[in-house]
Amino acid sequence: MATDTAIEVVMPQMGVSVSEGTITKWLKQEGEEVAADEPLLEISTDKVDTEVPSPGTGTVQQILVQEGETVDVGTKLAVIGSGAAAPAAEEAPPDPATQPAADASAAAAEAETDMPTPQAPPAEPPTPAAPAPSADGGREANGDGPSFVSPVVARIASEHGVDPGHVPGTGRGGRVTKKDILSFIESGAPARTPAPEAPTEAPAPAQPAPAAPAPAPAAQAPPTPTPAPAPAPVEAGAGEQVEAMNAMRRGIAEHMRRSLDTAAHVTSAIEVDLSRVVAIREKLKPEFQKSYGVNPTYLIFVARAVAETLRDYPWINGEIRDDRIVTRNYVNLGFAVELAEGKGLIVPVVKSAESLNLLGMARAVTDIAERARNKQLTPDEVQGGTFTITNPGGYGTFHGTPIISQPQSAILGTYALVKRPWVVQDEHGKDVIAIRPIMNITLTYDHRLVDGALAGRFLQSLRQKLESWGETEY
Amino acid sequence: MAIAREAEPVGSLSEVREAGLDREDLLGIYRNMLITRGIEERGHILYKQGKIPGSFYTGRGNEASSVGVATAMSADDVGTPLHRDMGVHVTRGVEPWRIFAQYMGRADGPTKGKDGNVHMADSNLGLLAMVSHLPAMLPVAVGCALAFRIREERRVAVGWFGEGASARGDAHEAMNLAGVRRLPVVFICDNNQWAYSTPTHLEYACETLADRAQAYGFEGVVVDGTDVLAVYREVKRAIEKAREGGGPTLIESMTLRMEGHAVHDDAFYVPKELFEEWARRDPIERYRSWLRDNADLSDSEEDEIAAGVKRLLADAIQRADESSLPDPSTLADGVYATSEELDTPHHK
Amino acid sequence: MAEKTYLQAISDGLRQEMRRDKRVFVIGEDVGVYGGAFKVTLGFQEEFGPWRVIDSPLSETAIVGGCTGAAIMGMRPVAEMQFADFISCAWDQLVTVSAKQRYRAGTPVPIVVRLPSGGGFSGGPFHSQNPESSFAHIPGLKCVCPATPEDAKGLLVSAIEDPNPVLYFEHKHLYRRIKAEVPDERYTTPIGKARIHRGGDDVSVITWGAMVYTADEAAQQLENDGVSVEIVDLRTVLPWDKAAVLESARKTSKVLVLHEDTHTGGFGAEIAATIAEEAFEDLDAPIKRVTAPDTPVPFSPPLEKAFIPQVDDVVAGLRDLAEY
Repeated sequence: MATDTAIEVVMPQMGVSVSEGTITKWLKQEGEEVAADEPLLEISTDKVDTEVPSPGTGTVQQILVQEGETVDVGTKLAVIGSGAAAPAAEEAPPDPATQPAADASAAAAEAETDMPTPQAPPAEPPTPAAPAPSADGGREANGDGPSFVSPVVARIASEHGVDPGHVPGTGRGGRVTKKDILSFIESGAPARTPAPEAPTEAPAPAQPAPAAPAPAPAAQAPPTPTPAPAPAPVEAGAGEQVEAMNAMRRGIAEHMRRSLDTAAHVTSAIEVDLSRVVAIREKLKPEFQKSYGVNPTYLIFVARAVAETLRDYPWINGEIRDDRIVTRNYVNLGFAVELAEGKGLIVPVVKSAESLNLLGMARAVTDIAERARNKQLTPDEVQGGTFTITNPGGYGTFHGTPIISQPQSAILGTYALVKRPWVVQDEHGKDVIAIRPIMNITLTYDHRLVDGALAGRFLQSLRQKLESWGETEY
Repeated sequence: MAIAREAEPVGSLSEVREAGLDREDLLGIYRNMLITRGIEERGHILYKQGKIPGSFYTGRGNEASSVGVATAMSADDVGTPLHRDMGVHVTRGVEPWRIFAQYMGRADGPTKGKDGNVHMADSNLGLLAMVSHLPAMLPVAVGCALAFRIREERRVAVGWFGEGASARGDAHEAMNLAGVRRLPVVFICDNNQWAYSTPTHLEYACETLADRAQAYGFEGVVVDGTDVLAVYREVKRAIEKAREGGGPTLIESMTLRMEGHAVHDDAFYVPKELFEEWARRDPIERYRSWLRDNADLSDSEEDEIAAGVKRLLADAIQRADESSLPDPSTLADGVYATSEELDTPHHK
Repeated sequence: MAEKTYLQAISDGLRQEMRRDKRVFVIGEDVGVYGGAFKVTLGFQEEFGPWRVIDSPLSETAIVGGCTGAAIMGMRPVAEMQFADFISCAWDQLVTVSAKQRYRAGTPVPIVVRLPSGGGFSGGPFHSQNPESSFAHIPGLKCVCPATPEDAKGLLVSAIEDPNPVLYFEHKHLYRRIKAEVPDERYTTPIGKARIHRGGDDVSVITWGAMVYTADEAAQQLENDGVSVEIVDLRTVLPWDKAAVLESARKTSKVLVLHEDTHTGGFGAEIAATIAEEAFEDLDAPIKRVTAPDTPVPFSPPLEKAFIPQVDDVVAGLRDLAEY
C-alpha cells in the first residue's frame, strides 16, 4: 500500500456484508498534516458510523473522494505524502519489448471467446459417388437415411476415415453402434453386408481411401464436434513440468502465428550514427526532467523521426484490407511494452503521433508505458495502431526480426546504442576513424505491399533525419 | 432462586500467595492483560485502516477472565478458547506478531490464511481453534477430557462458551456427557450479558447459568469476571479438582462486553449507564489499583511494563505487516491429513 | 481364512484393531452392555472394559464431538451411530469441526464414524437412508461403502488407520445375508480404489453397497441373453476412483450408474457428469442412472419395493442400453 512517498487511504470494510461507505466528514484538508492513527475522516455504512484513523504520518496531498460521496470498499479516498506535492516522475526506461509486437490484449480477448481456430476442414461427405460400391451399399441397414451418430462412433469414424453412413447399423432405428463400426473396420469390408458380386470389392485398401480424402472426418453428423475435443492432458515426463498457458500467452501465440501466415515478412536494416542525437539529448535531458518530469530517451527521438518520415511513406503506415490498400493521414504509433516478470507483452498506441513534438512524444510514451505496466490501459488504447516500434535493444541485442502486428504493414526495431569505431571524413575530406554511437535499426515489412526499395528509402530517410537532428527541432 | 455459589472477591496478597502466585506471577498477569488489550486496540485501528479483511471481534472487558483462567491452567492442560478470550492465547505464549498476521490473513498466521480473526490456535500450546458455530467446541473439549480419562492422565480440558451459546444443544450435550462420566473438564461461561444485541433475559430463564450445573451433576460457581485473581482462584480450584478425579465444574464469569459484537456494531442497544457502570470496573484498572495497594507496584515498574508492551506490539505489527500473503497456489493444500502428521506430541 | 458374514467381518476387524492398538476405542449408544443395536460389538465390553467400549448418552453431538476432541488428543475413536439416519444430529460436529480442522487449523482428526445404512426391511423414513452423497460434498471427509465381507473388514482397518475423519457406511441389509471368505489376518483395503466385481464388455454398471448384489443378479440375466455386463464396485465414494470408472466407460461405451440413494443430487449425478465431461467421445449411449425416486423412504412393503431399485429395474436399464 505505501510507496516511498505516498500512502493510500482506502475505504475500509466495516463488516462482512458491507460493500460500500459514504464519507460524512473530512477531519483534515489537503495540505494539512496528520499523524499515524489520528482520526482522518468519518464515514457512514449500513452497519455503523465510525472514524477512520490515518494509516500513516504526513501531509494530506490529495483528497480523491468528497464528503457526501458513496464509494465501494477498497476505493482510494486520499493520498498522504511525506514531502513534495506532485509525485516525482520516475525514469521511463525505454520499453524493453521483446521481439513480437503482437497486440496481445486484443488477441487475448479473442482467445478467450472462441475455441482454438484450427478447424478441421468442414466435413464434406466425400461425395457419395466416391465409394464406388453401389450407392445403397452401406445404407441398406439404415432405415430412413442419416441417423444419429454417437460421440464414440463419430470419433472412431474420423480416426479411420470411415463414413458411418456406409456402415450397417444394428442399433435402435438402424443406428450405427460402436460395435458395428468396429467390426466394419475390422472386416475391412465397406458397404453391404450380404451383397455378393461386389465388383469393387477387390481393392481392399481402397476402402478407407474413397471414403475419405485424407483428413476430412466426413461425418455426416451435422454437429461437428471435432476441434473442441481437448486432446488428452499433457503428462509430465520424468524431469518435466507442465503448466497451462494463460489467456495472454494464448493470444500472443495465436497472433504471432497468424501474422507470419498473413504477411510476407522481410527485414531490412540500417546503421545510424546518433552522435547528434546524443549531444542534443545531453542538453535536453536535465531540462526535460526538471521542467516536465520526463526523460527524452533515444526511443523518443526515433519515434519522433519515424512519425515524420512516415508522412512520406504512406504505404508503410498502411494496410491491406481484402485486396485494397488503405492509407491514412495520421500515424497511430504503437509501442511494444514488456509486462513485469516476462508475463507477456502489450502494445499501447499513441494516437496521432505525427502531431506531437519531442516533448509531447516523451510525455505520451512515458504515460502509456507506465499505465501499461500498471494495467491501467483502456481497450481503446491498445487498438487502432498503424505502425509499431519495438525496442529489444534494451537487452543489448544489435539486430532482430520482429513480427508485424496485424493488420499493420511494418514494424520498426531499435537496438542497442553501441560505441563503434566508425569511418568518417575529417576536415580535409580524408577518411579517418572516429568513435561514434551507432544504433542498428530494422524495418520489418510486409512484402505484399512494401517492396525492398521502398523500405530502403524509408530507412535512408529516417537515418538522414536522425543524423542531422537540429538543435531547434523539438 | 440461585443455587450456584458466588465466589468471594480476592483480598490480600497473602491470600493470593496461598493460591500459588508470587509477585513475579502477579506482574506477569498484569503484563498479559495489557498485551491482550493492546493487541485488540491496535487491531481495531488496523481494521479501520483497511488492513484487516473480513470482520473484527474484540473481548474488551474480558481481559481478567481470559488471563485469569489461562494462568490457572498447567502446561499439559488443553483448552478451546473463544473470540473474547484473546488473553488465553497471550498467556499460553502465542507471539503477538502471529496474532496480527492471523488478523491480516498472512501466510505466517497460525491458520496460514485459511481462517480469520480469532479462529486460530496453536495446538502445540494446547489450544484448539474455535469455529463459528458456537458452542461446537464444547463437545470437543469434553472429548479431550475423555481421552485423558481413558488414558488415566492427570490432565484437564477447559471449554469456553458464552451465555448466548448456552442456548444451543451442544452445551447441554457436552455438559451432560461430562457429568455422567465425571470427566476432567472445566466449563467456563463467559457471561458478558449481550449476545450480539440479545440481552440475557432473552437468552435464558434461570437466575444464573451456573445454576444449570446442578442439573448435570456438578458444581456451579459465579465469579466476578473483572477480578482477575478471583477468577484465577476459582478456576485453579476447579482444575485441581478435576485433575484429582472430582469431575467437572461450571464457572460463570460475569463481565460486560464493552464494545459491540464486532467492530461494525456500535452497540446502540446497550444502555449507556451500563457501559458507564462497568467502565468503572475496568479489569485492568482494577487490577492495577490492587497491585499498587497490595503488591507495591511502583511508578517506574508500571512505566517499564507499559513501555515494554508498547514496543512489543509495535514490532509485532511491523513484522506481521511485512510478512507475505498466502500464495493462491496453496489453496487446496491440507484439506486432508497424511499419516506423518499424526506424529505430534498429542497424537502419540 | 474363514467364511464370515458381512457383520462378522466388521466385528472381527474392529476387535483385532482394538487388541492391536490401545488408542482405538468405541463409543455409541448401547454399544457396551447391549453389544450394539446390531450386535456388532457383542462381547467387546467384557473384553476391553467400560472405558474402551463406552455407552454414551443419547447424544450424537457428544459422541462425534467427543471423538473429535479425543482424536486430537491422540486417540483413535470409532463412533457408532445407531442408524446412519441419526448422523444428521451430529452434522455440525462432523462438517463444521472435524472436516475442516486439518485445513484451517492444521490439526488432523483421525476418527471413524460407523453408519448402519440402507433399507429393505420396512425400516421407514428414519432407519433406512443412504446419506453418503451429502457427505461426499464436504472436503475434508472420506466416505467408504464396502459391499463384501472382505472389503468390510479391510476398509474398516484402513479407515481406522486413516488420519482423516472417515464415514463408514455399513449396509444393514448385508449384515447377515452375505457370507464370504475373509482372511483371518490383519489387512487393509485401500480407500479410494474401486474393484471390478464382474468383468464385461458391453455395458458398465457403476455402483456400491448393497446394490452391487442387485446389479450382479441383473447382469446374470443379461448374460443369458448374450450381453456381457461389467460391474464396478466403487467401494469408496469420497474420494472416488475416477480412473477406474472412466476406464470401464471407455471400454464398454455404455454406462449405467446405480445407487440406492434418491435421484436428484445422489452421488450418481457426480459420476455421470464426470463421465460426460471426460469420456464424451467414448460414449455410445447416454449415461443412465437407476436410483430411488425423490421421496423419503416409505414404510409399507409394496411402497418400499417401489422405492428401492430392484433387479428388474436394473435389468430393464441394462437392456435399454444394450439395445441402444
